[in-house]
Amino acid sequence: MTGCSPIRGAIEVAGPGAGRPRITMRVGADEPILAGHFPGLPIFPGVAVVEFVRRGALATLAEPSRPGRRWVLSGIGSVRFLAPVFPGDILTADLSWSGEGTTRRCAASVTTGRGEVARAKLTFTERGAA
Amino acid sequence: MTGPADGAVPVRRVLPHRYPMLLVDRVVELVPERSVTALKAVTGNEPWYGELPDCPEGPDGPVDDYPAVLLLESWCQSAAVLGTIGEPEPHVLRGRVPLLGGVSAVSFAGRVHPGDVLVHRVDLVRRLADTMIFAGTSAVGAVTVMTVGSVVLALRPAADLPGAAAPADAAGAAAPADAAGAATDDRPGRPGRSVRR
Repeated sequence: MTGCSPIRGAIEVAGPGAGRPRITMRVGADEPILAGHFPGLPIFPGVAVVEFVRRGALATLAEPSRPGRRWVLSGIGSVRFLAPVFPGDILTADLSWSGEGTTRRCAASVTTGRGEVARAKLTFTERGAA
Repeated sequence: MTGPADGAVPVRRVLPHRYPMLLVDRVVELVPERSVTALKAVTGNEPWYGELPDCPEGPDGPVDDYPAVLLLESWCQSAAVLGTIGEPEPHVLRGRVPLLGGVSAVSFAGRVHPGDVLVHRVDLVRRLADTMIFAGTSAVGAVTVMTVGSVVLALRPAADLPGAAAPADAAGAAAPADAAGAATDDRPGRPGRSVRR
């Protein structure tokens, strides 16, 4: 159970468990957030691109080290947004993992058909029961 | 108690965001070119909660955590209020769109749930032409739930965005060199007043 999310699109994972998993998602025109971001000018928010990476990254992480724990996004090292994302775009991200134990870092390069749109470094930490 | 008269900063006039992505409820203090404190009340009636099962329980309690990226977006919108207050033309299609250019050194601590009121504190670190750098925190009560090392917002004319000219054809258009998803519309505001509640 990953809780609730502001994006609805289904994220596909290619090569889970491989060294560099690839995740993809189509930005549907029916994403609820587009109605308000912005009226008359739908732009897929930068934070929604980060959410795509977060969810895709979680899907490629191994199970937490013990029951009662879960992985959570604990930090954003950096994100650079290079170009806007629009409805209809297909987001693709190549993930590269580092770190071990209860803290893992994920670096992602996100592209659409027009090229790279974002570069992100996210940190995930195991939280929950001791 | 507070009343409508306390809403001295008209958020809906300053930000182009609308439901369900208008994530600032009230500005409680704003010192132009310097800092802003703004509130966002989290409610289980927001659309992100629409698909949660009736009794969602994770291994360590309810999983109705407010999404971290929306916490960040809400903070960034508060920054956008500070960066664009005083703009004469907040309409997103006619003014400039504040886009999230970059984020660094953000850490999340604690959990946010429906019923919590987020208090965002934002400092304007630097303004370079149409680019602004902000830093600050978000808290629920006495607990700091997010620390933001820096966020860069860039103001871009809506007409420069391929989606503005032909939204239906956006996917085929060329994209600007930098700019992306989050924030607000407008331009640097330099109002000569301080707004307090």
